[in-house]
Amino acid sequence: MIVILNYLVILSFILCYAITALYDYHMFQLNSYSLWTQLKWLKANFSRGYIVRHILALPIIGIAFFDFYTAAILSSLLFLIQCFFNRPRKAKKPLVYTSRVKRMLVTNILILAIPVLLSFSLQAPYQIIILALGVLCTPLIVLLSNIINMPIEKGINRWYINDAKKILKSMDKLVVIGITGSYGKTSTKYFLNKILSSKYNVLMTPESYNTPMGVVKTIRTSLKSFHEIFICEMGAKYTGEIKEICDIVNPKYGIITSIGPQHLETFKSIENIIKTKFELADALPDDGVIFLNHESDYIRNAATNKKRVSYAISPRGCNYEAKNIHVSNNGSAFDVILSGGRECHFETKLIGVHNVENILGSIAAADYLGVDADTVAMSVRRLESVPHRLQLLNRGGMAIIDDAFNSNINGAKMAIDVLNTFEGFKILVTPGMVELGNLQDSCNREFGAKAAESCDYVILVGAKQTGSILEGLKSGNYPEEKVFIAGTIEEAFRKIESINSKGFQKVVLLENDLPDNY
Amino acid sequence: MLIRVGVLFGGKSVEHEVSIISAIQAINGFDKTKYEIIPLYMTKEGALYAGDSTGKIEEYRNIPGLLKKSHRVIFVNDNGKFLLMKYPAKGFGKRMYASVDIVFPIVHGTNVEDGALQGYLKTLSVPFVGCDVAASAAGMEKYTQKAILKYNDIPVLDCVRVFSAAYFKDMDTIINQIEGSISYPLIVKPSNLGSSIGIKKALNRDELKGAFEYTFQYANIALVERAVTNLKEINCAVLGDQDLAIASECEEPINTDDILSYNDKYISGGKNGSKGMSGAKRRLPADIAPETREEIRNLAIKTFQALGCNGVARIDFFIDLQSNKIFVNEINTIPGSLSFYLWEPIGISYTELLTRLINLTFKRERENAGISYCIDTNILANFTSTGAKGAKSLA
Repeated sequence: MIVILNYLVILSFILCYAITALYDYHMFQLNSYSLWTQLKWLKANFSRGYIVRHILALPIIGIAFFDFYTAAILSSLLFLIQCFFNRPRKAKKPLVYTSRVKRMLVTNILILAIPVLLSFSLQAPYQIIILALGVLCTPLIVLLSNIINMPIEKGINRWYINDAKKILKSMDKLVVIGITGSYGKTSTKYFLNKILSSKYNVLMTPESYNTPMGVVKTIRTSLKSFHEIFICEMGAKYTGEIKEICDIVNPKYGIITSIGPQHLETFKSIENIIKTKFELADALPDDGVIFLNHESDYIRNAATNKKRVSYAISPRGCNYEAKNIHVSNNGSAFDVILSGGRECHFETKLIGVHNVENILGSIAAADYLGVDADTVAMSVRRLESVPHRLQLLNRGGMAIIDDAFNSNINGAKMAIDVLNTFEGFKILVTPGMVELGNLQDSCNREFGAKAAESCDYVILVGAKQTGSILEGLKSGNYPEEKVFIAGTIEEAFRKIESINSKGFQKVVLLENDLPDNY
Repeated sequence: MLIRVGVLFGGKSVEHEVSIISAIQAINGFDKTKYEIIPLYMTKEGALYAGDSTGKIEEYRNIPGLLKKSHRVIFVNDNGKFLLMKYPAKGFGKRMYASVDIVFPIVHGTNVEDGALQGYLKTLSVPFVGCDVAASAAGMEKYTQKAILKYNDIPVLDCVRVFSAAYFKDMDTIINQIEGSISYPLIVKPSNLGSSIGIKKALNRDELKGAFEYTFQYANIALVERAVTNLKEINCAVLGDQDLAIASECEEPINTDDILSYNDKYISGGKNGSKGMSGAKRRLPADIAPETREEIRNLAIKTFQALGCNGVARIDFFIDLQSNKIFVNEINTIPGSLSFYLWEPIGISYTELLTRLINLTFKRERENAGISYCIDTNILANFTSTGAKGAKSLA
């Protein structure tokens, strides 16, 4: 009997520990395996991320001193209840079992195995206490497993990076174009890829791959000998990260799409953001060219010793300027004077001035790289919207502007402008912006005030981080009965169904979508 | 890094040997500073072989010996990389023979040129040179081809299609029908074979029956059309795609028989062994008036684009000298020797032709690569299932 109970305790512990650790690894993955981000996240979400998930292990420490039968049964029960609380739930982006995660899991098991095996030599209460401490310490053991694996991970990454460099070296004719910016880089990348593909064999980093290892993976798995151009999106949350990618791919051309307070939390200052984005210009060779969106004052006023080609959608004396811009809910049209002085008319079915800016950057680069004007114009006409970036969808009789991947304040405000070009009952669905450091509250308030001007209904997803949007709405005297706070996006959609739009077509703007760690 | 080109030839076709000649000519023609060639020989049973010997013409005198020296391989698409794996896998040695970036089929005839091989390559998602599945099929199946051309106002001879099963069930009715619509002399030919095999001329009813017997040895579907007695044959090749296509010089094949036979085309190549289509007797450039030449070259491009072709194709015409009318006879979507001899006179070398063909493939691949990138946040999936329907079921 004693043996059976012993096993029961051990098994329920293992189950509870495993489930809890997997949750921590999931969050750790969403926090980009960054120690500080994870600790900060733990601090900010202490009750949701720690207390609720570990607290039941605490009373076990006291229960362990009851008589063995009671202690064993109660502690097993608590482990199992805790385990039930922590059961995996549906996630927007579930834990991906990458090789790295698998290696951390192995290390984790090894770390845990030592005290658990040693505990067998102890008396029952102490053994149970060690197990309970194990559960209480899961977040730390998870982080420890990463620290222990660090040298191995670094070695593995170094090998991958060198392999990618070797591949690039063997392709001496390959032209690399780097794209960075606080926002607009993924859209610009998709558009440039499409336009350049009318003439060249082009490879781009897929989706939003923009980290050194994402770039390395693209090179190692997708770059083929026939590719002539490689378009590489470069993202950064810290200074030096753009340079790190440039050191791998050696871009000849660069595009900086925008500079704004994105990731201000990690960058600390806007100067650091400017400096980091311009690492791309610094990395170019002497005959390289940097394409700059002069719409941003930060970019316009920044200096570079490389050849600069500027573009803007307002008259600012740039090399490429979009004129006669006409945007509607059916698409956009504008004129650009291309190299050789020819004025060319462009039309696209994509909505929003924001997209015009991104398309213009791609037109400038493609024109510079020798794609003829008619081909560029035809490619622009055939551009498709990038999924979840001002993507217009028609579902169930309503128009949905899916801007779920946007997370910056300028983009959000422009999305409201786009919403305004539509006729109908305008509904905004948003969980607000995050990662904007101390600007976060003011940005969200501004956004709320802007929404108050034009939306017929606002659904805020999640009460916690949308508080400042609500304040913004109130400052615009927005009637309270037109606001609904939903717990989840699913609840928001059910609410949209039930709203009475008085016969008007519902036009829904989905602005931003937060990952599971918010 | 060179672009790895798998040149695929042979296959289950009556023109198996001709394809070997065409392919090995091409292998010698590639720009070796750009391309690394991997010769892939497909046996008449459809098995693929690769090795050091598969690119050498002299090895094909003894095919069983060649196969012994080579590796049997199978194609695998490994996450966008196209691997040739040794089959069957032996011991602990290297399983992969090579990888290719693009496949260049140089095959002739049914089962390979007719879209079958193209379909296989397309299923694997490997980029391949030349016509896509539908154009290859239309290029081989003459009835389909004529229908498409006729719809595009391109002159073709009217024809009657006869299925062997129907013919043997009630041949007199069928022959009566044919006699009612077209007059002798007639030509009977397989609807889906290239290279002049199974074609017979008929001057009267008895000969027509004989012609059907003969043709049905090679195919189950026959075409009957009016035989143009006083004619001049002209061939012209086209290179390009829907966007842009150019026509080659025109040639006039010289017949030793009434109809250009398989012998004329490939076997009577002279003393130095067979040279494939390039060794056939011809008048090049063809002896025709400049305006006829231009008309034919324009019709060739029109035919090429009407059938949705890509790469290089040779279109065979004939001029009815009695009425002075030009007709399209047929198209070859993978012409013998890739019709390089028709391009040299207009200044496109064989090497240049091969490079352009590969570039056309990459162009098509780029055009086909639409934006279908999915970043799955699943919001809308939730919306349609729990939103629209869910709300109603709750109500």
